[in-house]
Amino acid sequence: MSLFVESSDVLPLVDLEVAFPVGSLQDPAGKEGLAQLSGHLMRRGPRGLSQERFEDALAALGARASVEVSMRSTRIRATVLRRNLGALLGLVARMIWRPALRERDFAKLVRQARASLSARLDDDQTLGALQFRRALFGKHPYGRTLGGTASSIDRISVERVRAFYRRQIANAEFVVGIAGDVTERDARSLIADHFPPLRVCRRRDAKLRPTRVRRGRHVVIVDKPERMQTQLFIGTLGARTRDPKLFPLIVSNTAFGGTFSGPLMQEVRGVRGWSYGAYSRLLHSTQRDAWYMWTAPAAEYSADCAALQLTLLERWVERGVARADLSFAQRYLINSHCFDRDTASKRLEATLDVELLGVPRRYVDEHDQLIGAVTRADANDATRARISTQDLTIVVVATARDVAASFEALPGVASLEIVPFDRV
Amino acid sequence: MVAPQVLVERLNRGVSKRNARWTFVRDHGFGDVLTLRRFRLGNGLTVLTLVDRSAPTVSYHTWFRVGSRHERPGKTGLAHLFEHLMFNETRAHAHGDFDRLLEGAGAEANAATWTDWTYYYENAPRDALPLLVELEADRMANLVLRAPQVRSEKEVVANERKLRVDDDIEGRALELLYATAFRRHPYGWPTIGWMRDIRGFTVRDCQQFYRTHYSPANATVVLAGDFDEQKALRLVQKHYGAFPKTGRVESVAHPKEPSQRAERVAQLRAPTPSEKILLGYQAPSFCDPDTPALVVANEVLFGGRSSRLHRVFCIDEEIALSVRGSISPFVDPGLFEMWIFVREGKRRQDALALLDKELHKLASGGPTQLELEKAINQLELSFLHSMETAGGKAEQIGFYETVANDGSAVFSRLEAYREVTANDVKRVVTKYLRPSRRTRVEILGAQA
Repeated sequence: MSLFVESSDVLPLVDLEVAFPVGSLQDPAGKEGLAQLSGHLMRRGPRGLSQERFEDALAALGARASVEVSMRSTRIRATVLRRNLGALLGLVARMIWRPALRERDFAKLVRQARASLSARLDDDQTLGALQFRRALFGKHPYGRTLGGTASSIDRISVERVRAFYRRQIANAEFVVGIAGDVTERDARSLIADHFPPLRVCRRRDAKLRPTRVRRGRHVVIVDKPERMQTQLFIGTLGARTRDPKLFPLIVSNTAFGGTFSGPLMQEVRGVRGWSYGAYSRLLHSTQRDAWYMWTAPAAEYSADCAALQLTLLERWVERGVARADLSFAQRYLINSHCFDRDTASKRLEATLDVELLGVPRRYVDEHDQLIGAVTRADANDATRARISTQDLTIVVVATARDVAASFEALPGVASLEIVPFDRV
Repeated sequence: MVAPQVLVERLNRGVSKRNARWTFVRDHGFGDVLTLRRFRLGNGLTVLTLVDRSAPTVSYHTWFRVGSRHERPGKTGLAHLFEHLMFNETRAHAHGDFDRLLEGAGAEANAATWTDWTYYYENAPRDALPLLVELEADRMANLVLRAPQVRSEKEVVANERKLRVDDDIEGRALELLYATAFRRHPYGWPTIGWMRDIRGFTVRDCQQFYRTHYSPANATVVLAGDFDEQKALRLVQKHYGAFPKTGRVESVAHPKEPSQRAERVAQLRAPTPSEKILLGYQAPSFCDPDTPALVVANEVLFGGRSSRLHRVFCIDEEIALSVRGSISPFVDPGLFEMWIFVREGKRRQDALALLDKELHKLASGGPTQLELEKAINQLELSFLHSMETAGGKAEQIGFYETVANDGSAVFSRLEAYREVTANDVKRVVTKYLRPSRRTRVEILGAQA
């Protein structure tokens, strides 16, 4: 079954999602950005409608649509006033299964993609996050950017995009989700009217080698002029989605840096006022994804902040979390879980993640039990087993001459590299 | 639901203190099925309730009628600093308790400050309501303001300023725009404050500000979501009822900003590969009868991929990567802001000429019927999305109550959009979007 419906008559709104199990991990080496360009070219509209008329038709329905490409999925999302749902489904179906994929639109899209890469240079946090993944994962596909690079985009032709579309989208299996003011019966009937027959959707995960951690502590400075504030990312590999230690690690990470009142935020912001924000994040995927801490300290004490974070990290991993902190994190995760499902579209999203990304169904259905069952020993064992205090990637966006010496002097640093901000 | 008069009678039974007695003021339909009710405690606290059982959550908002406009030169940023201080120690709770207790209950708490208001909110599982009422009442009256807390939060705010303004191109440009456009009105200084003012705040400044602005009569509590109205009002009565009655703080009448007769231009340089233009046209206040037509004009010009300026600038001419517009929702007249993110290798002068040409075209020809239909439907869509959660509803109610003096006016605003005609759009574009009424900030690359 590949249609999922979450009915709610609270508001006369409907959200639609059509998702394909294909993403940037399917980009061939050297042609990074292909999946995203393909999705965005499809978004320019179907055959028989100019881009302008397609946009007019969507807007007049009180609808918005987007194509979002991630590492493992391409999701066409739309939202519409309930009264115009049928008309929207017709338009979206034409866009997906009869896309124009015009050469003229492609040329404009490529110019826009290049301009977006250039505009990214204004955003220090994005620069830091991109460089962090690149430094952490090296040549592994997890280190790629969704949008590719200027040179990889240049290697992609419209023929290549059309071929990608034919192979990965046109006849591919897909999942449909509808949430909002529509009954399941009406949704099924409308989908049958407009969409190709639904089939069971099998995930086609790209065959990936495991991610590997680089030994030692390595600093990368993204050098940008005139920085008063720095963007600081410190991290290592985290966990796989199906890692048996995932839930213990989620609880342990929440106790360390997942809340405002946790030790990371309190030591960095509450006690010292060094950064507006301070948190740690645990990502998971088919292979081990990243675990990292983020802060934004002023340049004059950026290295001091990094040193403090390293100390806190060591303390967390070596001593583990206290019983009271563990129980607090469990209560926080269980009690706040209602905000992961307080709208129909959020409930739908969780279901689609199960179908599309291989998230085990029990992670959704038994979330509270899985969190509640974590013991202190589980949490501390998982932290020690997965989070390295020695193999760390440290990325800081800063003016290099202001911070290089102090970052090089951080304990255990094996290398320091300076990357100009316009080369990220 | 129990009739409000009956509810008030029950709640007031046996309550002798005048400040703790409830008055029912009125109710308003809120969409097709919900009802917004307005109550007032004897000490002046206004409470708006919206029972909505669509999810097992509750949102608790406290809006204070104090923002950066209530500051004075030399003390800018004090309202925003308070937004931080309010999460600290009180006479009943040690430093850190506030966040710890709320997070343990699964609640999300945050706050925001702008020119005309400051608000604090919690979104929480419904069972946490007693805790929310207790903590919010406590910090309204019992905040402890001592040197260590003030010093630490000043440092956090200084860092926030560096993050959001000094090292952020858009933040710097917006600050320069308002400082250049407003020469008399306090809207000219930044809500986060000038750095020298942030560094200079004293504990005494904070204590004085707290005594002046943080009182029941200067606040509105909005409760939205899945809760028992009688129990909720009983809790509010218990925790706020002992607070003394104070008069509402009357806003100082600020000098009206004179009508601008010539364009003002300012420039800033930044390490960026592409130029940007930020424009601010003098615009009417949020409650001005011209504002709905101007909002529709904004939607015609900037509302998504089918809008006029997106099409011309980003698709046809490819002179900009993106364009966007918005109207400042202020109590006093503000600005109609427009951003043009010029593409690398394109000239900002050409972008500006193109903008003027398009504005002239809209002023002389007005929008088409299709454009009006698109604009209204898109505004309706945005409105509905803003109402999806209990927190979204509470925010809309609190904003309209504080800026427009009517928490239910969010629906009449949508009706006002529907009544806008093509001629209305022509008229307001002609009246407000003239080059002589604007301030222009040009952002140039460091090597330009």
